[in-house]
Amino acid sequence: MLKFVVRRLLLLIPVVIGVSIVSFSIMHMIPGDPARIIAGEGATVEDIMSIRLKYGLDRPLIEQYFRFMKGVITNDLRSIRTERPILTELLPRFANTAQLALVSIIISSVIGMTLGIVSAVKRNSWIDTFSMVFSLVGVSMPIFWLGILLIILFAVTLRWLPSGGKGGVEHLILPALTLGLATSAIIARMTRASVLEVLNQDYVRTVAAFGLPKRKIIYKYVLRNALIPVVTVIGLQFGYLLSGAVLTESVFGWPGLGRFVVDSIFSRDYIAVQVGIMMIATTFVLVNLLVDLVYALIDPRLRRG
Amino acid sequence: MRRFVVLLVALLSVAIFAAKYGGTVRFLIGVDVTTLLPGNIPDSISTIVGMHIFEGLVDYDENLKIIPALAERWEILDNGTAYVFHLRKNVKFHDGADFNAQAVKKNFDYLFSANLRNVGVYKGIIKEVQVVDDYTVKIVLFQPNSAFLYRLAQSSGWFVSPQAIEKFGHDPALMSKNPVGTGPFIFKEWKAGESVELVKNPNYWRQGLPYLDRIIFRVVAEDVSRVNQVRAGDADLMYNPPPALLAVLEQDKALQIKVVPTVRTIFIGLNTSRPPLNDVRVRQALNYAVDKERLCKVLMRGLAKPSDSPLSSMTFGYFSTGGYPYDPNKAKQLLKEAGYENLKLELITPKGRYLNDYETAVAIQGMLKEVGVTVDVKPMEWGSYVSKLLSRKPEDWDYQMFLLGWAPGTAEGHQVLFPLFHSSNRMDSPNATMPYNNYFYSNPKVDELIQKIGLEIDEKKLLEYFKEAQKIVVQDAPWIFLYEMNIAAVMRKELQGVKIHPTERVNLAEAWIDR
Repeated sequence: MLKFVVRRLLLLIPVVIGVSIVSFSIMHMIPGDPARIIAGEGATVEDIMSIRLKYGLDRPLIEQYFRFMKGVITNDLRSIRTERPILTELLPRFANTAQLALVSIIISSVIGMTLGIVSAVKRNSWIDTFSMVFSLVGVSMPIFWLGILLIILFAVTLRWLPSGGKGGVEHLILPALTLGLATSAIIARMTRASVLEVLNQDYVRTVAAFGLPKRKIIYKYVLRNALIPVVTVIGLQFGYLLSGAVLTESVFGWPGLGRFVVDSIFSRDYIAVQVGIMMIATTFVLVNLLVDLVYALIDPRLRRG
Repeated sequence: MRRFVVLLVALLSVAIFAAKYGGTVRFLIGVDVTTLLPGNIPDSISTIVGMHIFEGLVDYDENLKIIPALAERWEILDNGTAYVFHLRKNVKFHDGADFNAQAVKKNFDYLFSANLRNVGVYKGIIKEVQVVDDYTVKIVLFQPNSAFLYRLAQSSGWFVSPQAIEKFGHDPALMSKNPVGTGPFIFKEWKAGESVELVKNPNYWRQGLPYLDRIIFRVVAEDVSRVNQVRAGDADLMYNPPPALLAVLEQDKALQIKVVPTVRTIFIGLNTSRPPLNDVRVRQALNYAVDKERLCKVLMRGLAKPSDSPLSSMTFGYFSTGGYPYDPNKAKQLLKEAGYENLKLELITPKGRYLNDYETAVAIQGMLKEVGVTVDVKPMEWGSYVSKLLSRKPEDWDYQMFLLGWAPGTAEGHQVLFPLFHSSNRMDSPNATMPYNNYFYSNPKVDELIQKIGLEIDEKKLLEYFKEAQKIVVQDAPWIFLYEMNIAAVMRKELQGVKIHPTERVNLAEAWIDR
């Protein structure tokens, strides 16, 4: 087990290097000069040149890349836009995004799995119809629009919850719900399909024939087997929430990483974008590792492998 | 008895209408502050936050007149090549350091030696800063500069405590996070991407100010969300609401909306270096064919005003030329004269950079269609757009028409005319210092006038040169003159005394909450 974890952690190195090369190339392929954009309206030629020189933007690309990687290793990088050390900029924002993503994945797992299980067990009942309509709406509704609707209802009209910003737990509810709705819909559909499949297996019919109570069959024999694909989906969705929370962050004024990276793309702050992407990629890999470990927990057969 | 009643009424009304002390204003901003080091500030949001912490020798008032700030008065000597400033006494920085002539010199020395991002505002203009005595400073210029006081009023002219420069000056990031000025509010905390908090300066030199205890600037990226937060009472103030929401907001009794004209003009630049736009008749025809009134009324919903000069009517030096009234027949006739009926042109535009920028481009496409000009509108992402339009490489100069905005940082006209219309700043001019003339416009008469405008300190003559230059530029039509932007702020009813400047600054120094 330990060997497995170490091997997977070592694999992170080539992944991160690969991600750094790809993000570096893409950022340098799109037209636009950070010095030009950051210097602002009315900047003189001299102003722009001094920014270029300072960040080595006049050097050949290969050299810029190695300078960048050296900076990553020695932790000596600064955002071109704000001139502040890059980790000072990114880490608090990353923590905020992770917090939002975590709460939202918990909410959506609870909602999604409950709906999925219930609708599979009570197939073709009104609950099944309701939860499938719910998940259709959830998947199709744009996050942006849903967020604004929730704000208008719960913050502007009812005044139950704050309309945005960061603060106590109450500030988390609306953004986490908004972000979690689509995810919970996906989880619900996946759970339903998976539970239905297991319900039709021979061994379930056999234990049913033995006369075990239905509740026990579901919890003990069905769920455990049905969970594996669901855990995969939850893991993938969590990665998606980490990187895809930009819209939710914008609508609720949540100070997260996504919005910062997008703003950095617009101002061609290469350093912030590249480090931000490397951070997200690393988390993605780690979450996947976690998912694999959870597999082993659920399915004893995988522990030996 | 009657006298008593009058006195009572007077006292009561003072009590009711007098500004009240205390309270917090929550001010929503669209993006995080970039930096709070004055010499590095590139954007209007950092300026808005910074202006509450810092002050310079002089300042702009709401009408963009230069007023004394940390300098009580000044004299202009030696035909405009030297300025003597008499400094206000008993002013202290937030860390207790004295504001005096040494502090002024130290700030300019720091700006030049650290080569801060906005050093260009003074480089080549200021020759020397001399300490005459503790409260007198003499600034010597290389040559007269008509905009010098306006330059001092910009954010790069704000003063940082000399102690802070000693301590943090070696690192702009530390300077940016430890802003120490003389202003009405003291910096307390900056949570990256989230908020900046300022608290009242109890020792502020302007007696009785500020009224507020605290200002919290909070970042909310989405304009609709900013509006919703103010409506929900979770914030007190935001600016630039989406124009489409204005009607709804006006009906909300808890809110007030303040609209103020700005120095920003929006225009369509015409590349005069190649046919058909090298023909002045075609350029004038395009101007006649655009109905600016309708753009402002229907599309911008009152958040813009038709413009008739390269300068906004708020900018110092503005002269109303009359511009081009909407006249499609004249447009058709001019096009016919020039031999261009059934003209095809391309218009590139940013999308979301300025209020309704892309929508304006599409509306103009429709208007030009009516005079027989087919326009292809191409939106571009801002970063790519800027790098194309401000490129010094000939292969990038293939554009025909482009939509752009310009707001002079100094709030006076030289900062418009020199970078945008002087032939030395054409993209193809090798020794350009501010290359923004991407229409490849050149007119020797205009060059000469701009030169004079830069040096003239006699206001009467200066305004005369400004007038001449604007008339010629409008006549030559390197732009389609569109509109001047207004800035709209949405705030809670109880918030009073907010000052909004035409430079897109929002000032809370005299603001108070009426509870």
